[in-house]
Amino acid sequence: MKLMTLIRKECIEDIFSSRGAALYLVGCGVLSVFSLLLVSNTELSLLDNAQAVYMMAGIIMSLALLISVIRGSDGFAGERDRETLELLLITPVSAVDIGIAKLMGTFVSWLIIFLLSIPYLWAVGSTGQNLWPAFIYIFIAGSFLVLIFGGFMLGLSARMKTFKEVLSIGLTLFLLSASPVILGPSLRQSGIGRLIDHVNPFGSALNMIDSVVVDSQNISFQLPHLATLTICTIFALCFLYATTRRVEL
Amino acid sequence: MKKSFFPDLIFITAIILLFPAHCPAAGNGSVHVNLQRPAGTLTMGDTPVFSGTVTNMGTKTSQGLVVYLSLVSLKTGKEHPVDLEDWSAQKAVRINRLAPGETNRQEWSMRLIQAGRFGIALTVVDPLENRPIISDLVHFDVQQKATVSSARILPVAAGEPLLLIVIFALFQWRRIRSRRE
Repeated sequence: MKLMTLIRKECIEDIFSSRGAALYLVGCGVLSVFSLLLVSNTELSLLDNAQAVYMMAGIIMSLALLISVIRGSDGFAGERDRETLELLLITPVSAVDIGIAKLMGTFVSWLIIFLLSIPYLWAVGSTGQNLWPAFIYIFIAGSFLVLIFGGFMLGLSARMKTFKEVLSIGLTLFLLSASPVILGPSLRQSGIGRLIDHVNPFGSALNMIDSVVVDSQNISFQLPHLATLTICTIFALCFLYATTRRVEL
Repeated sequence: MKKSFFPDLIFITAIILLFPAHCPAAGNGSVHVNLQRPAGTLTMGDTPVFSGTVTNMGTKTSQGLVVYLSLVSLKTGKEHPVDLEDWSAQKAVRINRLAPGETNRQEWSMRLIQAGRFGIALTVVDPLENRPIISDLVHFDVQQKATVSSARILPVAAGEPLLLIVIFALFQWRRIRSRRE
């Protein structure tokens, strides 16, 4: 019951705060700019609808990752910076519960970003194939990414002293994870590139969406990607549990 | 009276074999190359597959043949070669060994990203020959079709951020009002 109250508080704080509003507006702005780019560029406007949905999915996944990194970094280290962590720790809930509540808050933020992205996905992909599977798999992949990166960043945030330190690690991690997308498909064809692609949850999420939306492959092809995402989620949640069992001020 | 097709077929085959210069496939030396376009209308966004054949008409085995596509835009007054990278086409195929009488078939798939009139040809480079062997130019038209429509995107791209601003402004206004009360 106390955990539920804490989750509710975290969600309301995230959604109705000016910080939350700014995040959703930035997310919307990014999606708007990208979709305008699609129609204003002759070559991009000729893309197959499924390809356009896949490109849009990459942006949505990046937003999910960014939310997780920012919210996760702020989780404990932000409270420590604002000198409100002590107040939080003397409440009758354990630090593990606080970690869970903060992760749920991040998850709700992702849900809102996902809901905001639906009209954009419809706008670029309604006349093409696999739009409904795209919705489902983007939601699944994004949820896994939020749990993985949100959990890991919250764990780091519980151990490290300042928000800046955690955020700098988080952004480096974000760049490393997104590098396969930035570098392009040719570099991912090499042995090392393929290995990184399999281990990297962000790469797995994007490959899964590519396989479903562009290549129209069924769920049996998605099992390796889902396995990578599930294993990474378990590791991230275990890390969060281990680091929040004892939080120092 | 029903006419038999068989004598005609023998005649055509004999003509092709005896006078290779008159057949549709271009040739130079012992290797013949031919390219065929898929049937039907081609529209932007389609990924048609062009069929290519390379036949060794000589008596010696050809080795290390390189086969590649060349695309040219035939828009009147603006004719220019087209970079196939944008068309996601396969760059080249290497035929390690082609025995006498043997035919190698390739499928050249590409995504049509531009409307207009185009010409496409298949070139074979034999390392032992001084001249490349080029197929006849295959003409094709690509019909215009925009897949990502601005009529759907513009209202969403402009409307959603505005709607979000209005919703947040309303929430802020309500919050300030309730604090004052």
